[in-house]
Amino acid sequence: MVSSRPHTYSVEAVVVRASDFGEADRLVTLLTPFRGLVRAVARGARKPKSRLGGNVDLLRHIKASLAEGRSLHSVSQAESLTSLRGLHSGLEKMSTGLYMAEVAERFSVEGGPNPALFNQFVQMLQVLDEEPVNPLMARWFDMHVLRINGFLPAISDCVDCGSALEPKDHVFSPARGGLVCPECRATENDVLLPASMNTIKLLRHMARSRWDAVRPVDAGEEELRQAGRILREHMQFVLDRHVRSSAFMDEVTRWRPAGANSPSP
Amino acid sequence: MSELAPSAAAPVARLIDAFHRLPGVGPKSAQRLTYHLIRMPRDEAEELASAIIGVKDRIVFCDTCMNISESVECAICRDLTRDRTRICIVEEPLDVLAVERARAFRGMYHVLHGVISPVNGIGPDDLKLKELLVRLADGTVTEVIIATNPNLEGEATAMYIQRLLSHLGVKVTALARGLPSGADLEYADDSTLAHAMESRAEVQSSNGTGGSGGGASPGLAN
Repeated sequence: MVSSRPHTYSVEAVVVRASDFGEADRLVTLLTPFRGLVRAVARGARKPKSRLGGNVDLLRHIKASLAEGRSLHSVSQAESLTSLRGLHSGLEKMSTGLYMAEVAERFSVEGGPNPALFNQFVQMLQVLDEEPVNPLMARWFDMHVLRINGFLPAISDCVDCGSALEPKDHVFSPARGGLVCPECRATENDVLLPASMNTIKLLRHMARSRWDAVRPVDAGEEELRQAGRILREHMQFVLDRHVRSSAFMDEVTRWRPAGANSPSP
Repeated sequence: MSELAPSAAAPVARLIDAFHRLPGVGPKSAQRLTYHLIRMPRDEAEELASAIIGVKDRIVFCDTCMNISESVECAICRDLTRDRTRICIVEEPLDVLAVERARAFRGMYHVLHGVISPVNGIGPDDLKLKELLVRLADGTVTEVIIATNPNLEGEATAMYIQRLLSHLGVKVTALARGLPSGADLEYADDSTLAHAMESRAEVQSSNGTGGSGGGASPGLAN
């Protein structure tokens, strides 16, 4: 006789998306190391006395017990694995964390295991939790999410002819996925982004280094801007969509509030 | 036309589609509601349709607080007995009802109609923040109480508002967070417990003396 009890299982996860669902439920998207994205309903999670509520909020690193359903799974229990309370200490941290969550989600699929991506994401959330926000955090995360998924931009040699690039300013083609040498530059309708020599050095350093080695880098405003644009447009080309939370992260970082007559100090 | 009910008659499929677009209504619920309506007496169905049209025709946003109202100024904004020096900021019109139900606040409200949700592409420009700044311009308001939901997006919205108002010299407060009445400590999540610990208050003695903790403004209830 077949049991009618739903199959339950336990996963480590980070909540990367949450929305209201039904009367008092929350629909969450969990990023897991071995099952990819899992969509699940946390029943009653919006009620103040819910046992789930706080643990199924965005950016929570949890261990969840899930019951399989026909279309959606449901969260039967959730306990916190890492506190990550520091993420709540400032708007820059929250917006950067939400940006990373969206990037991690966009590079994941339901049922597709990707433990390297998951571990990278959790590690960067922990860094963000403990350290002051550094504008290189999101860029380094972009770079390594691209690397893990096999989309690392070609920044060593010319993406077209493979020739070594001279140590000088070049351009980056998001459509071709890398830096192009002067000989390969001319192609109709190809958007080319400026990449100064220092920007290229910064990109290469981020691509081959752990966060600990990138943290002390004091990148200039222009290098940060160019590297950010290159990685963002490359990522947009790979994903075929825009990472929506980047706009809020940029606004918070620059702090030009909507509707304000004068910027705050 | 509907992919949910490909074999249903066109008007039925259209109604299933319409229900499915409502928040929290899945495909099965949309079908159930539709077939319930088909069985419903005609006068009841007409009453429902008329109620929907009535809401769309007669309900507007209050010019002042952005709450839903039958006129350009809602009942709360018209009430001259309310404290106009305090504004409680909430995410949705339903939150106004919840705060009013508690009978602990006699000030004014401002409804944002949403919360900053970067992942869903909802930014500060999508909220009623410009209208809030207009209300604060004349200096009448001395305290803004942020009552967004105690989750990450609610907190981000609260912090954004705090920054937005920081140069105006108005006091910005937020609702306290902690354990709900009647709950068991062992089931509280660590964040709620940590907040409760940070916002702990001195235990009041039975004669009402003792302790200055709590932090809430005593004048709010009256």
